[in-house]
Amino acid sequence: MRIGIVCPYAWDIPGGVSAHVNDLAQALIRMGHYVSVLAPAEFDDFLPEFVVSTGKPRAVKYNGSTARLSFGPLVARKVSKWIEEGDFDVLHVHEPLSPSLSVLACWAANGPIVATWHSAMDRSRMILTLSKLAQTAMEKVSARIAVSEAARATLIKHVGGDAVVIPNGVDVSSFAKATPMFGWPGPNMSIVFLGRGDEPRKGLEILVNAYSQIRANFPQVRLLIAGPGEPDDALKKLSKADRASVTVLGMIAPVDKASVLASGTIYVAPNIGGESFGIVLLEAMASGTPVVASNLEAFDRVLDFGRAGVTFENENSVDLARVICDLLGDEAKRAALVQQGKIRANEFDWNVVAREIVNVYESIRVPGVKVEPDFTGQLIGRLGRGRITPEPRGEL
Amino acid sequence: MSSQSIFILGFVAFCIWYLSHQAGRLDRLHHRIDVAELALHGQLLRRGGIVAELAAVPGIDPALSVIWGQAAHEVLILPEVASPARTEVEDELTGILAMTLGDQDEVNEIRSIAHAGALLEELAQVSTRIQMSHQFHTDAVRDCLEIREQFLVRFAHLAGFAKPPARFALEDQILGTLAN
Repeated sequence: MRIGIVCPYAWDIPGGVSAHVNDLAQALIRMGHYVSVLAPAEFDDFLPEFVVSTGKPRAVKYNGSTARLSFGPLVARKVSKWIEEGDFDVLHVHEPLSPSLSVLACWAANGPIVATWHSAMDRSRMILTLSKLAQTAMEKVSARIAVSEAARATLIKHVGGDAVVIPNGVDVSSFAKATPMFGWPGPNMSIVFLGRGDEPRKGLEILVNAYSQIRANFPQVRLLIAGPGEPDDALKKLSKADRASVTVLGMIAPVDKASVLASGTIYVAPNIGGESFGIVLLEAMASGTPVVASNLEAFDRVLDFGRAGVTFENENSVDLARVICDLLGDEAKRAALVQQGKIRANEFDWNVVAREIVNVYESIRVPGVKVEPDFTGQLIGRLGRGRITPEPRGEL
Repeated sequence: MSSQSIFILGFVAFCIWYLSHQAGRLDRLHHRIDVAELALHGQLLRRGGIVAELAAVPGIDPALSVIWGQAAHEVLILPEVASPARTEVEDELTGILAMTLGDQDEVNEIRSIAHAGALLEELAQVSTRIQMSHQFHTDAVRDCLEIREQFLVRFAHLAGFAKPPARFALEDQILGTLAN
């Protein structure tokens, strides 16, 4: 099958959506499909073969944070040309309501279009959803996918209709072969935390509050914190000796994530809310590290309701200390969790997830119907009809 | 020209543009429904074909073979695409599959017969696709009806002679026993 995928966010800036698109594209290529990804990129030199760049994204204040997006008449023309030349059987756009490439691609194309919703959106972003133009573009989408129940719920509530839930995938094989960082976990045990140290939602403070209690029972335990943001605020409550047993790595490269996760005797996700899925839990399981997580609904689901990991009462550091001490003292239980975790992670392997996504492609395909450029469709298409004419091939 | 006539001209131009815009939307939605219907039809026929093949696998007991063969035959000879008659034969086949493949031990037994294993896998896949196709068809019908019910669209008769789209009733359940 010839598949065109559109990623609205900058390719070379790490982010959930571009990581998802990258993994999906590679899994589809392994299955033998032809894949072309259209994405904005800061630098064109280091792009994988299957990525077509629309040039440098522009930083825009959008929905309270700075997003790097791509838009404008020149970009619209590139999108049309990519669709024209791609001769795709299926067009797959991601995060279709961001004011970037995805919505442009919906405007510029006709035929089998699939859209994936990633985030659970809030009200402010819904202004765009409600705009007539976006809605008209959405009408062209034949199949919708949501990556989580939360994303699906927002879609149903604000846009209407329904979506198939297909979760994010995990590249199990690359996490499974990760080796721990040098000297970790070492002869003694260690706890790993991953995420912004200065964002209360990630729950580092809950873990820190439990830490002295854990150290009282297991004096040799160390704590490894990785992620952007200064965790000092949360750590200043610790005694000198406890503080000395904490290692702060700061921001880590995506390639190092696996070895950081593998460096823990236990991985802890004390998030207090706002998680729609919890992919990092699966990554820890794939790395062979037992998982302890707060009992958020999303986490419960990923952990298969206790079978693949242990949960504690959300925001309760006493309960967290109890759960961690239980696990540190029970090697057999850890070994069982590692085994169950690997089985669970395999259910979310990209090869499995990509097969589900291909089922979606196939379920809207009809022989002879392909993705075609649409020059006459929407308002912008009409106004810019003169501009967005296909050009001779081979220039993009 | 007076400013009043410019205003009226502008208003008329806007109305024409708006109506043609809505007509374009409707046309696209009707097309989307047609494609969704054909896609669903294709998957349903594929399921019929797989069940017919399954019925013909040597080693399947003759009673099962007749039941499957009969139900698949009904599905495959029916010319209509989305219709009450189609719903009836497809639901019949779904019911027969649920009845005959509902027990994990039995499914494992059938899976061990040569050729049947691969066919069961295909059956699981096509069942997933039928469920998705059905949902996407329902989505398209809902999007279309939403516009068709607008006052202006009805008043200006923008839908033309296109028949109002209807949801295609279908039992779609996935057999858990077919999962590996």
